[in-house]
Amino acid sequence: MDTRKFALLVLLGSILSPVTHAQIKHIEMRVEGMT
Amino acid sequence: MKQHLGRQSGVQNVEVSLIDGKVQVTPKEDGQIDPMQLLKATYDSGVTAAEMDVIARGKIVKDASGDPALQVEPNRSFTFEPNELSKSLESLAGTQTFVTVRGQLYKKPSGKKKADLSVPLKLLVLEVQKKE
Repeated sequence: MDTRKFALLVLLGSILSPVTHAQIKHIEMRVEGMT
Repeated sequence: MKQHLGRQSGVQNVEVSLIDGKVQVTPKEDGQIDPMQLLKATYDSGVTAAEMDVIARGKIVKDASGDPALQVEPNRSFTFEPNELSKSLESLAGTQTFVTVRGQLYKKPSGKKKADLSVPLKLLVLEVQKKE
């Protein structure tokens, strides 16, 4: 049973990991008219 | 403006520098942030966004028109503004290679008071930081 759960976790991880590794890490804006 | 931007989805922290007019936005770990929404929120707060630069990590994909783009979320990608750096990334389209780039998503058109935010943002790659 534990082996099946582990295998499922590995499978889910391999499916989801490429998605979670992609992201916007930082944003910088230059703005005008700020007081 | 800081509070206005801080309320946007996916924003973890906002730092505003009044001296040089720079706004630093740190996204949350889940990365679900919409740059276009930030630009609109900036205008809504009464100031004009002149430029927006991002550091983003993602995969190179082809968009619906076949142009290369950086996919930063399953349902969000930015088509490249063609330059030498973007051309060097084209060969990675469809591969599992992740790239981290610094690029410009928005620059206010010269001579216009307010920009057209109805068109999709394009990513002008300024630096390829990592390929892995």
